[in-house]
Parts: sequence; structure tokens; C-alpha cells
Amino acid sequence: MRPGSRWSTALLVAGSVVAAGAFAWPLLAPALPADAQAAAPWAALALAPLTALVAVLAVDGAFRSAKTLALLGTLTAVAAAVRVAGTGVGGVEVVFVLLILAGRAFGARFGFLLGVLAIGLSSTITGGFGPWTPFQMFACGWVGAGAGLLPRRVRSGVAEIAMLAAYGVVASYAFGLVMNLWFWPFAIGSGTGISYEPGAPLGRNLASFALYSLTTSTITWDTLRAVTTVAGLAVFGRAALAALRRVRLPHARRVMAKRAE
Amino acid sequence: MLRFRPAPLRLAVALAVGFVATRVVYRVLFAGAGGSGAVLIDAPVVRLPSPFEHVAMFGPITTGGLTAAALSALPIALVIVAVGVVNALVDVSRLFALGARGGPLAGSARALVIAWATFPALAEAVRRVRLARSLRGERGAGALIVPILEHTIERSIAIAASMEVRGFGARGRAEGDCERPAEVRDAEIGHGGEWSLAMPSLHLGPGSLTVLRGPTGSGKSTVLDALSGRLTHIDEGDAAGLLEVGGLDRLAVPPRETAGFVGVVAQQPRLAFAAETVDDEIGFSLAVRGVAPVIVRARVAEVVERLGIERLLGRDVRTLSAGEATLVAIAAAIVEHPILLLVDEPLADLDPPARAATIGLLGRIAHEAGVAVLVAEHRTAGFVGVADGWLEIVDGRVLPAEPPAGALPAEAPAVAAAVSEACPVAVPAALEQHPPLATVDGLTVRHGGTVAVDRASFELHRGEILVVDGPNGAGKSSLLTAIALGADEGEVRFAAMDATTNGRRARRARRRLVALVPDRSDDLLFADTVAAECRRADRTAGRPRGTTWTRFLELLGAGVPLTADASRPTTATDASALATRHPRDLSTGQRRLLVLAIQAGAGASVLLVDEPTRGLDPSARAMLAAALRGHAERGGAVVVATHDRDFAASVADRRLTMTDGVLGAPRGVGAPS
Repeated sequence: MRPGSRWSTALLVAGSVVAAGAFAWPLLAPALPADAQAAAPWAALALAPLTALVAVLAVDGAFRSAKTLALLGTLTAVAAAVRVAGTGVGGVEVVFVLLILAGRAFGARFGFLLGVLAIGLSSTITGGFGPWTPFQMFACGWVGAGAGLLPRRVRSGVAEIAMLAAYGVVASYAFGLVMNLWFWPFAIGSGTGISYEPGAPLGRNLASFALYSLTTSTITWDTLRAVTTVAGLAVFGRAALAALRRVRLPHARRVMAKRAE
Repeated sequence: MLRFRPAPLRLAVALAVGFVATRVVYRVLFAGAGGSGAVLIDAPVVRLPSPFEHVAMFGPITTGGLTAAALSALPIALVIVAVGVVNALVDVSRLFALGARGGPLAGSARALVIAWATFPALAEAVRRVRLARSLRGERGAGALIVPILEHTIERSIAIAASMEVRGFGARGRAEGDCERPAEVRDAEIGHGGEWSLAMPSLHLGPGSLTVLRGPTGSGKSTVLDALSGRLTHIDEGDAAGLLEVGGLDRLAVPPRETAGFVGVVAQQPRLAFAAETVDDEIGFSLAVRGVAPVIVRARVAEVVERLGIERLLGRDVRTLSAGEATLVAIAAAIVEHPILLLVDEPLADLDPPARAATIGLLGRIAHEAGVAVLVAEHRTAGFVGVADGWLEIVDGRVLPAEPPAGALPAEAPAVAAAVSEACPVAVPAALEQHPPLATVDGLTVRHGGTVAVDRASFELHRGEILVVDGPNGAGKSSLLTAIALGADEGEVRFAAMDATTNGRRARRARRRLVALVPDRSDDLLFADTVAAECRRADRTAGRPRGTTWTRFLELLGAGVPLTADASRPTTATDASALATRHPRDLSTGQRRLLVLAIQAGAGASVLLVDEPTRGLDPSARAMLAAALRGHAERGGAVVVATHDRDFAASVADRRLTMTDGVLGAPRGVGAPS
């Protein structure tokens, strides 16, 4: 591993940990000193874009070969087009199929940056920028990166697709959960049975959140997303992976070589 | 910077309409289309069982409900259109390009530049894959996804390479030594240990034109890529030994930094255009290094005048013919006054007059402008008398060679006359005894306002190969596509088809009667292995499994069934290795024969083949000619559209010439109609 690459990994992991903190602010806030608790939501909203920038800076240096950038750009365009076309059809996020396949074929860094750029480009097109954008970037980036971290040993056609499909189900629900988590207090406000109560014990807030998440997306959009992701992977997964793997990327080859050692 | 381009706006409107439509569909599905107004459909509300009991589906659909659903989608739809308007007026990619020049986020900015440039290509890929799907007789959206992905990836890499060799994203600019354009000693180039090519010694001096020849797949392009830097810096191939351009170490200096003195013309220039107009394309390498627009315009005007292509200024690059595209690509490559010019198969797409003009132009660039020009080409005859040096790839080595022996300049009138005499216009008497297999009657094709094919009529007989020749852009491809898929006016009658069938049944019947191997035959490759591709073709055509695969092997063996050939014991291993390969990794010749096998596999008696020899070396051409002859001898008929005169002469039973959409007698025989 090159020294620059080690730094970039460390920076990406650190950025992701801070971002995870921003996602989980409703659960972490009670641990803060009392006078800082009121600032927690605003701190989370401010931290998210900053850490997104840091994370992109961290991985950007790894992508300088024209071919890798061409592929990253093309897949970003395809993902953005798919995402824009699917706006409003909640949950039918075919973009997950692409993120998972690209992360698997080209590694975690590539998957992460693809997720971030796809959200960035599709938001530019639809004008859908907002406080949620950096959170979406991280969540999609993590979906791609996670696919890149799955074990390399599984290479046979059916087993590999089955593994990716299982990951797709986990990622679909996890995506919904973390996107609900940071938004939950903003979405419901106070005064209902499942509202966020800053002073309440963790257990009670967790239960409220579970109920909120279940009714908001888990059993509807997230389930639909899981189903479409699995269906997409089953139908196109093998051929699309073969298409992607035909493009020999320098850094993907290094990933392969490293894993093989 | 402000110039109206309709394409982004069209895309935005399409996206906006799609967005509104999906929203309405979604509302109808999930009980959201009810409300005021007349009730259109009074469907019952379906409550989902636990745990989905809060979700209702269907329910009444009213005019008010549909309007409300559409209206609720309008704000975002309008935003999409507004962004499309901005995009149509402002070339946003140029803003990305600023960030892409350097800095810590250059990678992401460059990826976004490419993403932006990919959107029109995405629409183009969808169009081409849809055409390919109907040519293969398939239906359904599922057939489209993976081919579209492959198309866009292929195109984006071509664009990335063409941007790189013209200096995109360069931080510095290396100066080359004019006296030493290219120098190679004891070099070995290859791809990851799987394949390699030795280059013992190669020296290109200023003001010389050198032709590199060798069979398809022998590595001509790789030699050019090694000198342009594409091999090691973009395609991640390997190279060892001494490789210098302009006195600089090619392995150490990336292509973007040598863009000032190394010009590159890609094999398929139309795939690699990075700008949208001819002016911007030619001035690209100047613009990316920040030359003032007024100077860019002056330099573009100068090079355009030198090449005599002033008429192309202002054109959209997508409207250029193959010949025009080659000239624009050459102009773009010499706008920086390079020391070294690398040209990959410039003649492949050109008709005879354009070939002669291009050869003359390359000669002038070398001898008058003092550039070292290296051309990879297997149509070498025309370069005799122009080229100063010859190289040939023999057994994995690049060696000095002699000019092709006994070759006449390709376009000598004597050759053309001989070809014409050998190919009678009239139907040979032996063929006329049977009723025609197909009758083309008054076929007319219009593209927008222009007539591409004007009332084409001819009869096609069992056992014959008809060659339609004519210059680029004459309408040959449009004619073949119209015969395969139908046209605006006129009809094609087949002896075997009941004239009264129409609609979908007629389309299916037509597919069993006529099949087209298009110009871009690779578009028809859909699957991820050769075996899967053959199985898919069998399934679509409803033929027994193995039909297409057997046909493919037969074509490769030029009509000799491989299983019966005991003298080639390795064939079975070769074949099974072939079956598991990705179709797009086959050689050009193998790919063309595979598509031929797929298209002929459906049992069509009339086979249409468009420009079949592009990129093929003589042995692959011979295989192809044998395959077409075999089809005719089995009682079918073949129509070949080509401007390859030698190939036409070798296969044609009969020839017709197409000029400006009008089909007539071949040039040089009788009076043109």
C-alpha cells in the first residue's frame, strides 16, 4: 500500500466516523453537557457537509488515471439518470444495484465516490439540493463502499450474486434507518407518542424511533427497495459485473492483487 | 460560452414528462388518484393485510385526482426543465473543466465533466441498442440494460483518452525535441503478461511518413498507443525498454503533458469526439490549455484552410460522415503543430475518393509541414509512392519491411474498370429461372427533410450476392435498414410471405425472412459470453440449442464443419475456450462472424450485410466472403453494401451503385440513371 493511500484510508474512516456521529445525533445528544444539547441538531447539520468534503478530498487523490475517471464519470451519469428517472417512485432505487455492482467490481473507494458523486449530480439536475444532500451522499457512499469490502473469495457466479443480494437487503434497510434517524426529530416535531425527547432515557427514544422508522419507511419503501435491489441483481447482476470487469482499472487490479496475497 | 444547444433541453423535457408520468402512475397505484371531478374508473380500494394495513391501493380514479397528481409533480418537473434551459444555454461542462485543471478535487471534477458529457451519449446508446434489439428480433426492456451500460462505458473511455492526449487536465507542458520525433530501442509492450509485442528498433525522423502494417489483432494500434502514451498511462498496459517521443521518456511523461507535440487520430474518430461542434473539436487542445478564444479561432481557421474543410465549420460533430469525421480528427490533431502524428486506420471508414484524399493529405503533412507521421493500416497499396518507410508486425515483432510488392495505387482507374467488367449489371440467366426471392418495390426513406433513399426497386434471386456500392452517405445503410425493418413508402415482397399478413405477425414473419448485419455489428452483442450469446440467439429464434454455435464454428472454419476435421485435434479446446470469452473481447473478424451467425441463425433466406469488411485483414475478409457465398449456395440471397471495391469484386454476382439515395447501374457501365 502506498503511503498516500494509507493516509487517504485513515482520513476516509475518520470522516465516516464523524459523519456517523452526525447521523446519530438524536441518540448521542443526551451524552453531551446540558447546555450543549440544544446546539446538537445544528452541529449535526453543519458537520455533515464538512465531513462529506473531507471524505471526498481523502479519496479524490486515488483517482487520477483517465480511464478510472472516465468510468467513474460514466457510472455517475448512469446512476444520476436512473435516480432522476426514479424520483417520486419511493423505494424503487435501482441506483443501489449500480452502486453495489460498481463497489464490488472496483473496490470500496470507487463505490464510495460513485455514491457521493451520483447524489451530487442528480441533485444538480433536479435542483434537489438541501440539508439532506450530504446525508444522502454519505449513505449512498457507504452502500457502495460496503459492497467493495465484501469477501473476495466468493467468485463463482451464483454465490457471488447471492452474497451481493443479501448485502443489498441489509443495505436497503440500513439506508432507510440511518436516513430516518437524523431526520426523525425534524420530521415529527414534538407532542406525539413517537416524538424525540431530548431528556428521555436512551431506551425510550430508541423505541419511539423504531416505531417511527417502521411506519415511515422500513416496512414500505425500504422493503420495496430491498425487493427491487435483489430483483435487479438477480436479473442483470452477472452480465453487468462482467461488463464492468472487462474494463481493467489500475487500482481495481491492485485491489485484486492485494486480496490475493 | 452562450450558444443554444437543443439536445440538453430535449433531454430535460423528456425527463420532466417522465417524472410527471411516474408520479401519476404511482398515485393511481397507491390510492392517490381520487378526489373531485368526474369518476373515470371506480376501482375498489384494496387494503393491504397486516403489517401493511395503513397502505391502501387502487381506489377511484377521477379527473380531479389525476390533475392533482400531475400538478403536484409540476414544481420539480419545471425545475428539471429550467435546469435544461440553463444547460442548453450554458455549457456547464466548461465550469467543471475549470475545476478539473488541478487542485485537490481535480479527480471528482474530471469525473463530473465526463458524467456531463455522457448524458447525450446515454440517449444515443439507448437509441442504438433499441435498433439492435429489433434487428435481433428481441423485445422487452430487460434486453437493453447491459448493452447500454457497455456502450456508454466504451464511449466514455474513448472520450477520456482523446481528451487526455489533447492535454486535458495537464499541469505542465513538456517541450519535445523536433529533431527526434520518436525513438524506440529494445522495447517490449503488452497487456498484463497475457500478450506482448517486441519492438527491437524504431526510428521516425522529421518529415517522414511511415506505414505500419500487420494482420487484424496483431497489435498495430498498441504500437501507436505505446508511442502516444495511451498504453501505459490510460489503458494500464505494460512497456519496458527505451521509448522516447520528442526526446522525452514516454513511460515517465503522461500523454496530457506531451499534447503540444504529439498528435493522435483515433481509429474511430466519431466515438472519441470530445466537443460538440467542429470548431470546438478542432480547437479543443488549445482551449483546454487556456489559449485566448480569439487566437483559438485564428488557429482553427488556419488549419481548416490548410485541409480545405472550411465548409464543415459550425457543424455539429454528430452529423459528420465518416470521411468528414476523419478530416476533422486530423485537423484537431495537427492544430498544435505536432512533431509526431499517430494515425490509426484512417482509411477504414472511407470510400475510394476520400481514401485517396486522406493519403495525399497525410503525405503533405509529413513532407511539407515536416511532421513525423506514423500510420497503422492494412490497406497499404495507396501509400506506395507516398510513404518513406514501412514497418510490419511479424510473429509478435515490429520489423522494417519492404513496400507491398506489385501493388498498384488503390484508386487507379484500370482497377475500377476491371471490376466493373467482371460484374454484370443484368441478372445472370441461370438465376432468373426461379421467381425472385424478394422484390423491393419503390422503397423510400426520409430523415427529417432529406430523402435518404429515393424509390429503390430491384429483385433479389435465390443464390446470388448483390453488391450495392456508392460513396459515403449515399444512403446504402438506410436502404438495408429499410429492407429489414420497413420504410416510409414502398414495400418489400418476399416469395415466402403471404402478402395479406400485417402488423406484429408480419414483423415476426419478416424476421424469419430477412436479417441485417448492420454497419456497427458489435451493437448486436448483448450477452457476457459467446456461449450465452449463441443460446440467446437460439432462444429468440426458437431454434434447437446449439444451432447458432455450430453455425459460428462453421463460419470460423470457412464452411468446413470443425467436428469432421480430424487434422485439427486442438479445435475442441480452442472452441471451448472461445465459448467462455466475452463477445466483445473477440477479434474484429470473429465478432463480425459471430453476429453473422446470430443473424443467419433465425433462418432468414435474405441476408443483408452493411460494410462487412471494416477493420478486417485479408484472411478475415476471405473467411467472410466464404461465409456469404455459403449462404447464397444454400439457397439464400445476400445483399452487401460496401465501398470496398476489392471485396465487392471478389463476392459480387451483380452490382448496383447508389448515389444520393438513387439506386442505379454501377459507375463505368452504361449511363447512370
